[in-house]
Amino acid sequence: MSELRISSIETRGVPGKKRYAMVIDLRRCIGCDACMVACKAEFDVPLGVFRTWVPYKVIGKYPTVRKMFLPRLCNHCDDPPCVRSCPVGATYKVDDGGFVLQHYDRCIGCKACMASCPYNARFMLPKHRTYTDITRVVDKCTFCHHRVTQGLVPACVQTCIGRSRIFGDMNDPSSEVAYLVNTMPTQVLRPEEGTKPHVFYIGADRNHTEIGRKIYDPQSAIELERDVYNRNHS
Amino acid sequence: MFEMNRRTFLKVSTGATAAAVAAPKVLNAMENELGGKDFGPVTMAERQAVPLTCHVCNIQDGAIAYVENGRIVKLEGNPEHVSTRGRLCAKGNSGMWYTYNPDRVMYPLKRVGARGEGKWKRITWDEALAEVTSKLDAALKKDPNSVMMKYGRDRTGGAIGRFMKTLGSNTVVNHTSVCESSKKIGMEPTWGPDIETPDFENTKYILNFGSNIMEAAYFHNPYSQRLTEGVAENHAKLVTFDVRCSNTAGRSDEWVPVFPGTDGAVALALGHVILREDLQDTDFIDTWCNVSTAELKKHYKAFTPEWASKLSGVPVETIERIAREFALTKPATTYTYRGPAKHLYGSYQEKATMMLSIMTGNVEKRGGYCLPRGMGYDQPSPQPPGGAKPSYLSGPSEYPLAGHKVSHMTPLWIAEGKQKINVYFTYMDNSVYTNPGAQALWGKLYTDEKLLPYIVSISTVIGEETALADIILPDCMYLERWEPESMPNSLWPWLGIRQPVIKPLGETRETRIILRDIIHKLDPNGKRGMKQYWNFKDGEDYMRQQFDNIPGLKQAGGVEFLKKHGVWPIYGKLNPRTGKISDNTGREIQAEFGLYMKELSAADMAGASVDGHGTIHKNGKAIGVRRKGKNYVGFGTGDRLINIRVDEWAKYGFNPMPTFKQIPWHKDMKDDELVMTTYKYNVHVQSRTASVKWLAEIVHANPALMNADTAAKIGVKTGDLVRVESKVGHLVTKVEVTEGIHPKTVAISTGCGHWEYGRLSTLNLKSGPEFGGTEDADLKNVWWEDKGVHPNAIIPCVVDPIGGSQGWYDTVVKVTKAGPDDKYGDVVASYEKHLEAAKETMRYAYTGDLHRKMHPEMASWGGPASVKGGGGGGHH
Repeated sequence: MSELRISSIETRGVPGKKRYAMVIDLRRCIGCDACMVACKAEFDVPLGVFRTWVPYKVIGKYPTVRKMFLPRLCNHCDDPPCVRSCPVGATYKVDDGGFVLQHYDRCIGCKACMASCPYNARFMLPKHRTYTDITRVVDKCTFCHHRVTQGLVPACVQTCIGRSRIFGDMNDPSSEVAYLVNTMPTQVLRPEEGTKPHVFYIGADRNHTEIGRKIYDPQSAIELERDVYNRNHS
Repeated sequence: MFEMNRRTFLKVSTGATAAAVAAPKVLNAMENELGGKDFGPVTMAERQAVPLTCHVCNIQDGAIAYVENGRIVKLEGNPEHVSTRGRLCAKGNSGMWYTYNPDRVMYPLKRVGARGEGKWKRITWDEALAEVTSKLDAALKKDPNSVMMKYGRDRTGGAIGRFMKTLGSNTVVNHTSVCESSKKIGMEPTWGPDIETPDFENTKYILNFGSNIMEAAYFHNPYSQRLTEGVAENHAKLVTFDVRCSNTAGRSDEWVPVFPGTDGAVALALGHVILREDLQDTDFIDTWCNVSTAELKKHYKAFTPEWASKLSGVPVETIERIAREFALTKPATTYTYRGPAKHLYGSYQEKATMMLSIMTGNVEKRGGYCLPRGMGYDQPSPQPPGGAKPSYLSGPSEYPLAGHKVSHMTPLWIAEGKQKINVYFTYMDNSVYTNPGAQALWGKLYTDEKLLPYIVSISTVIGEETALADIILPDCMYLERWEPESMPNSLWPWLGIRQPVIKPLGETRETRIILRDIIHKLDPNGKRGMKQYWNFKDGEDYMRQQFDNIPGLKQAGGVEFLKKHGVWPIYGKLNPRTGKISDNTGREIQAEFGLYMKELSAADMAGASVDGHGTIHKNGKAIGVRRKGKNYVGFGTGDRLINIRVDEWAKYGFNPMPTFKQIPWHKDMKDDELVMTTYKYNVHVQSRTASVKWLAEIVHANPALMNADTAAKIGVKTGDLVRVESKVGHLVTKVEVTEGIHPKTVAISTGCGHWEYGRLSTLNLKSGPEFGGTEDADLKNVWWEDKGVHPNAIIPCVVDPIGGSQGWYDTVVKVTKAGPDDKYGDVVASYEKHLEAAKETMRYAYTGDLHRKMHPEMASWGGPASVKGGGGGGHH
């Protein structure tokens, strides 16, 4: 597995290589949070941190009200700032597939990657976990690298009740993600950052992505309890 | 900083390499398999897969449990399951925490302090069984009916009923009256079954009355899948009537807020417009219903949009527009859950909504309002005959139509001495938390040793109710039990099983084994005639006896097939390109429709007779209906027709036709009064999931939702404390201001605010597990300090005099800014006032003094005395 530490080397459109991406069709997201929990189980993710999360907003004034969900995760950028900012080469991009991954044994926990990520997708693992003894290093969504390389879709895609999350190889023109991205209007988050994100949204309008920018916070539900969170979770 | 031992380090490194080597050269996108196998992210080892049926709530999804190093680490949907199609909801994904709950009770416990004091002594199973059977012995000698069983969720495949029949007691009380009973009773006499199966996938228009199907309700996961397909792929329009902008309402094309308890009026007005403008399906009504189109038109004249608008607040033009859209879009369907049904007269409301699918002829059409498809299994032979004497608590005479019982009135009726109880069993129930009155009413009943001298709890955890028990028999969670299962949660019927993924933890035993052990202890040598009904080696053997003679299953491989696949039949393969089930030609499987139009065979008709209405009778039973010269099976009613007019209701002075009754105490509400409603969050069931860490992390508190205008009027903003006061008590909680709620409503969810149910639910995590459970190191990461406030103590009993339902959404409250003495979490309610309220609601029963007043249209009814042999348990 060839690891790329120069973040600007593109994996999209490279012949003979794969470039995985996720399409999240917001018309189909029902806000059930199954993905959040499936991810917790998949990786024994401790309390207080999330690899994927689903913020929501109540839009409009009574009685014209809608609820909007915006599932979030690492964007597996093709030009990831985290790779650029890691001083020890712990964060890298997989040449064949485009996964942005983390070497836990190299991570020194300096949080430079966390600070550089415009999507707030990275977090520090706490000292305690249920049964996994990788702790106190930075972690993030892996696009379920271990499942995808075994021919399975990521856990969040697997359980998605509305079939809102679609996963596949952008470099394969016959894949569903390629079909959707090539035929539907899609949006990405913070395009102005130039990160070339590989999580595409169908139906994300500015009500979702711009107003207040709350969705870029780690978990909107936590926001109300930020003080408690900071006190109890260092 | 970096803490990783050498072993893990090596594992991770080799894991990563192994993954790279194992990765096939050409991967073909989504396209990737949707499931059915699983690998550890650290070890990369393939995990052991065990298929089963989920039971975190009661939707009964097909699931697979994955085991690594003897631990259940992951759950996912079973891709071979026709209903679930490989997916689980948030709750289903976290089901292993029922099993690994550190506060689970791992051995029998006996109370040593006063009831509820929390002092327990560990005892052996022998001691526990000896004590329980000696109490049972004494009670059975006095009166078998003095042994009571109240269960919340019984999915034992008939074992609970068998146990009580073996003892000869009829005092078996369920929980359905706090759940959906009036929905069932609204539907059953009309068309047979107690639920509908809308074909959301193929529909073009959905009128949803008060169901939050995208978060909860029957059947959240499978129906949400189809609903999303209908909306996104089939471009169906989804219109939701609800007092609150739930996720479902918020994702609908239109959310139409209604005043609580007026859905039925809106539904009747929609029907009025359809009939007035001649948009009904005349042929369907005149062929398949017991009321003609002409009669229906006459009956609906009074239900004008203006009338409904005044009651519900829905604009007249909205009602007229939606009525036309619904009637002119084909196929279309209605859908309801607890919204319309959980009111005084909830049965009328359910019926009114169902009428819309009937009058537009959408019944049993592709994309329409379909009958449920279920499958059955057997009970082992021989079967116990059951008790001879009727039991008041399981069939109260005042509610003869409430075929699913009136369980929430139990505290009043026991306090009034309607029935003497000597031994009380509680199974997978938590009335002290889940019922109206909660700790104020049920808590009192449970602590009173005169009313309930001996309480046995079959439970996995010490919840609010079990905390007041005398003895705890530790049960297994669903991942450790053998059970048969079937649910009509898709258009394709199926049979499934639960099987133990791991051995029962600690000394816990599965329910069936506990019940068998009690019977065997009571009747060790079979002389009392009880033991013969409990003749099985273990849970698997019991289940095998239930499946042995099912045609088709036996040929497919019987129980061995189910152990391998979890479900039968398998209709096809989950197609990763569509997320749907494809047959072996690659085409999406198609359901059957028009079940009522199946024709009877010549053999069926041999010896049958046809009456004046076309109903076909054979051997004293209606087996079908003759229409246009053909013999059809028809519907599951007494005359095989859709009964728009339910004559049995008229017998008891209720209106047999579609109607609406406004809740009397909602008529003259003051400006500062609101209606309090409850609801469920997407990640919680009613009472059991606060101890599941991943779900509690997402939702652990339940602030009172208030409309922005209403909140501004009393001067509160999000996070402020308010005092919510009903006629039976008050509570103090936080406010969450939202635009997504009717201004005359305040909504407080259930599922939070526990005072028992383990350390996580109560946020009392300082000490370790007390009853043999294994601590979860992750609980050190709990970061929230708010456990919420449970509202049930201030909700009084209300009974639908027809269907027996609790009126969850009928409580009038006053909400004020909290005073200086009010503390967050205060809950104060009066036992006496609760009893008074329970007595008051019985005045609406057919035997009560308000019944006639509420039914002036039934003036010719002869009164309660005119009903011969009224009472005693309804029609189930």
